[in-house]
Amino acid sequence: MMHSRAPVNAVIMPRMTEAVVDVRELRKTFRVSEREEGLGATLRSFVSRHRKDVNAVAGITFRIEAGEVVGFLGPNGAGKTTTLKMLSGLLHPTAGEARVLEYVPWRRENAYLKSMTLLMGNRTQLVWDIPAADSFRVLQEIYRIPEEQFRATVKELTELLELGELVHKPVRNLSLGERMKVEFAAGLIHSPRVAFLDEPTIGLDISMQSRIRRFVAEYNRRNGATILLTSHYMDDVVALCKRVIVIHRGRLLYDGPLADLAERMAPYKIITATLHDGAASSADLDAYGTVVSREEGRVTIRVDRHVAPERTARLVNDLGDRLADISVEDPPIEEVIDRVFTSEQTTVSA
Amino acid sequence: MKRYLRLLRIFFRTELQYELEYRLNLVLEIVQGIVVTGTSVGAILVLFSYTTVLNGWDLGAMLVLLGCFYLVQGFGELVLQPSFEKFMEHVRLGTLDFALLKPVSAQFLVTLRNFQVVQLAQMGLGAIVVVVGLSRIPNIGFAEAVGFPIALVCGFALIYALLLALSTFAFWFVRVDNLMALYWSFMDAGRFPVDVYPGWLRVTLSSAVPIGIAVTVPAKVIAGRLDPLGLGFLILGTIAAFVLASWFWRLGLRSYTGASA
Repeated sequence: MMHSRAPVNAVIMPRMTEAVVDVRELRKTFRVSEREEGLGATLRSFVSRHRKDVNAVAGITFRIEAGEVVGFLGPNGAGKTTTLKMLSGLLHPTAGEARVLEYVPWRRENAYLKSMTLLMGNRTQLVWDIPAADSFRVLQEIYRIPEEQFRATVKELTELLELGELVHKPVRNLSLGERMKVEFAAGLIHSPRVAFLDEPTIGLDISMQSRIRRFVAEYNRRNGATILLTSHYMDDVVALCKRVIVIHRGRLLYDGPLADLAERMAPYKIITATLHDGAASSADLDAYGTVVSREEGRVTIRVDRHVAPERTARLVNDLGDRLADISVEDPPIEEVIDRVFTSEQTTVSA
Repeated sequence: MKRYLRLLRIFFRTELQYELEYRLNLVLEIVQGIVVTGTSVGAILVLFSYTTVLNGWDLGAMLVLLGCFYLVQGFGELVLQPSFEKFMEHVRLGTLDFALLKPVSAQFLVTLRNFQVVQLAQMGLGAIVVVVGLSRIPNIGFAEAVGFPIALVCGFALIYALLLALSTFAFWFVRVDNLMALYWSFMDAGRFPVDVYPGWLRVTLSSAVPIGIAVTVPAKVIAGRLDPLGLGFLILGTIAAFVLASWFWRLGLRSYTGASA
């Protein structure tokens, strides 16, 4: 089953559903040499190196259906990029299986490479000294895109990304944000069915971030491309992904709706009460939950998820006229994620 | 194959557009080429005003050799030097990933991607010197006329194979610029026939740095000083070098895709 070509395989072993990305027990172990600080240690390691195995990805399993936009979350070093590199075919896994569009990625068959793209926010594939339009032409030839389709795609991408004249300026003269937009156009010029986006908004200012987000959402809507995206900006994830996959230390911690992530991973709610005329500083609210902060008449209390309604009711009741406003919310997604990564949780699957 | 030629053409065109934007630089490079070639030819003319034969090489053969040298060197600087420098930069910056994700041969895409179009002028000058040299060589037979371009192409391929093998070390050691610089400095020695160098240097120039072969053999062919067997060895050797270097490159690539993070 590992060695049959994709289309043939589809006939021999029909899959349960049409998963675009199908990952099973994927593992990647890196052998790294380690040494202590100092010249002596450096010299010693020059002669004989101490090698250590690092499990960058320690057996993860997930599936992504066609047209989904999935957020792939985890702290630095969690194994996100390693996974994306395996899925795009740049790395061979140590063990496990993966299929993308029914292809085994690391065989790097041309048919597969033509239907996927990997965009990295911190790396550029554009040639620095020439305008992007020229790079697009090179890509057209590389991907063998018929002239008509090429023009249509460039037109669409120019519109969606508001590229305007950017493509005619040498890439080196573009700002970081402009370059990223052009980079997106270059990465999508062959209309891939699957896109792996690795930190696509890194280093961009807020308005450019939101523009890129709007673009990704619109592109997904129009072309039905399947998108797996990593980002450190939770806003990206909240805006784009209904579903998230969380990994930590190479293991899958959560796979399910973004909306349920807080419920699963952070079993508490945040009650924010705004009080009249400085009452916030004096009121004794410790009985209702853990007071997280008090500032300018506003008190933030953390309570267990299941007692949240009852506590809120009590607060409203007890505070009476002193209460100006009250809200009950899930903790901010950043906080949930942070909590997940700082605690030793076991796998939770939705 | 046709597709790869089309790709080459488009690579070439984009680079040409870029270079045309720097007209002054273009003119200066051409002037420099003329000056360098002119002085080399001058030096040979001076040399041959004292003698008619240098270790078996007469003026005509010597000019052909010099022309071959500029052709091979020009080829190296036209596409190999810029491409291989870029390749090592890709390894360092991690942008090699993009080349590996394209549905064409990664080796092709990386090693024949960048051009210094102005070096065509250098090659043109080399060709002129070859023609001038040829005009001084009486009775060039059919075998020589066919063998010469073959030997020259082998010369190009040999240089390519060597640079490919050298640059492959970048996969493991990342910075190998010095190795390449060493190579380019050896290159200069090719403007004289390998036969004129002392034994140890001759061996180095022909084996470790096949610049001696790449330049001397074509000139020998045209001067009727190489037998078919020698040419046959050159062709086989070139194919072997190319296959071996490509294999080594893929080996390096495996360690890149096998381990990079």
